[in-house]
Amino acid sequence: MDNSKTLNLNVRKDFPILSKKILEKKDLIYFDTAASAQKPNTVINETNDFYKNHYSNVSRGVHTLSVESTFRYEDARKKVQKFLNARSENEIIFTKSATEGINLVAQTFYEKFMQKGDEVILSLIEHHSNLIPWFFLRDKYGVVLKFANIQTSGEIDIDHFNSLFTNKTKIVSLTHLSNVFGTELNEKAISICKDKNIPILLDGCQSAAHLKIDVQKLGCDFFVFSGHKTYGPAGIGVLYGTENLLSEMPPYQGGGGMIGDVSLEGASYAELPAKYEAGTPPLVEAHGLGIAIDYMNKIGFDNIIEHENEITKYAFNKLNEIDFIEIHGGDNKRNSIISFNIKNVHSHEVSSFLDVEGIAIRAGHHCCQPLMKHLGVNSTARLSFGVYNSLEEVDKFVIALHKCKEFFNK
Amino acid sequence: MNDLINDLYQEIILDHGREPRNFGECEPHNKSADGHNPLCGDNLKLTFLLNDQNIIEDIKFTGEGCAISLASASLMTEKLKGKKIEVAEEIFKDFTNLVSGSDEDLKVLNEEDSLYALKGVGGFPMRVKCATMAWHAFNQALKD
Ligand SMILES: Cc1ncc(COP(=O)(O)O)c(C=O)c1O
Repeated sequence: MDNSKTLNLNVRKDFPILSKKILEKKDLIYFDTAASAQKPNTVINETNDFYKNHYSNVSRGVHTLSVESTFRYEDARKKVQKFLNARSENEIIFTKSATEGINLVAQTFYEKFMQKGDEVILSLIEHHSNLIPWFFLRDKYGVVLKFANIQTSGEIDIDHFNSLFTNKTKIVSLTHLSNVFGTELNEKAISICKDKNIPILLDGCQSAAHLKIDVQKLGCDFFVFSGHKTYGPAGIGVLYGTENLLSEMPPYQGGGGMIGDVSLEGASYAELPAKYEAGTPPLVEAHGLGIAIDYMNKIGFDNIIEHENEITKYAFNKLNEIDFIEIHGGDNKRNSIISFNIKNVHSHEVSSFLDVEGIAIRAGHHCCQPLMKHLGVNSTARLSFGVYNSLEEVDKFVIALHKCKEFFNK
Repeated sequence: MNDLINDLYQEIILDHGREPRNFGECEPHNKSADGHNPLCGDNLKLTFLLNDQNIIEDIKFTGEGCAISLASASLMTEKLKGKKIEVAEEIFKDFTNLVSGSDEDLKVLNEEDSLYALKGVGGFPMRVKCATMAWHAFNQALKD
């Protein structure tokens, strides 16, 4: 406990927004990091500095500013490569978001490796971002989608998952860390894919800032995340893919920067990673993401994980003691996310009530409507933590919850 | 308790949220529409019977949602029952103005109206959609 308090004290001051007063008087308690993380000063200042002192387009010109911009953009790629422990920078594609990364894989993987009747395995727990791009394949090309069940613990039912494979299965795409339950994907799911030699994409939106990611150890073929959930800017995302697959798949969008040589008769395409980066990329945002990675590394992932585990456990135990609270996803370990409902009070009411207390939580379906249907609720309230949260904030939150319950059941 | 919260959740809202009036399906009906808030998953189905004098003879709704969306739908049905379509359309316009925070220029609604209780939604811009879901369904049904 003392440890985490020290850690809090050390990082809160890095986030200027945390000194904002909500409705002019309440201290902000930000429990919505899973939707988007707040930005530390280094990210804010460095992106500013980029515009002020170094900005131009990347990989286009030979003048000084172009060199400075290109250097920063490519340096960010190196940082991401190390961050994920990818084998090479060629495996790191900058996108605008995790969503774009999944769309990219769905479209180009289909084009190279699939045909009508082939199958994709997903699960009930997926974010709409990891459903709709595959629905497109079903609707346009007659691809068959199969969905692994989940257990009450919030984990994928591994036996059911295993039973979905056929000789038509071509790719699997699963969330690495559930944005509703905070539960981590069972490693068995990945090893099953390895055994069967089926590529697997991990949606790392929620894991990238909260777990130490090593794509080689994980053994995934694709991994996507968004900069804005990892303390970096919005508008930048990352797709990791193995060089083998990325080389074989066709380009996604066409435009400047992704070509080898163009004549009116046709074009050849650039080598990786430029092949997948058509048009001027979000270069300042990429740099900001690199700075955010530096920031997380400076705190250290062991510290981040210890700190967030402690808060999550503390909050879970507090909530679990309250009889009017229903926590979703059983008793197993969570990472930085807890979904709950106050019995007989809609999550919107909870969220609006907490808002005027200065507490930001998410209410709604969390872009997981099929999962909500499965849980038999139409929405949940969700707490999610970042490096800047503290146990004291959880205490204040719990007091506010009691007030909320009292207000609505008066 | 905070004023914003008390303004948002007036007693009448909590009451109608807990026990919505005119909950169910109108039989027979000749107009219907579904309301849906894609941001949160709340939804409702509105049915009503418009007679040959263009009067809403009966109107009901079913669905699931937060206190604001249920109360708004409930108060809407109470208000619209027995009204001529032209009047209902005026009320619709007034109501959308009211919940977006502007209660000047109201033509048919006034502070005596139970619908006025939803004015507090103006303090929570993200909740305006909750309050207008039923009304948009009503508007949609008229167009279909
Ligand atoms: C698990 C998961 N997948 C995908 C996404 C989509 O991320 P983005 O909107 O940044 O592309 C999110 C973000 O809400 C998420 O939590």
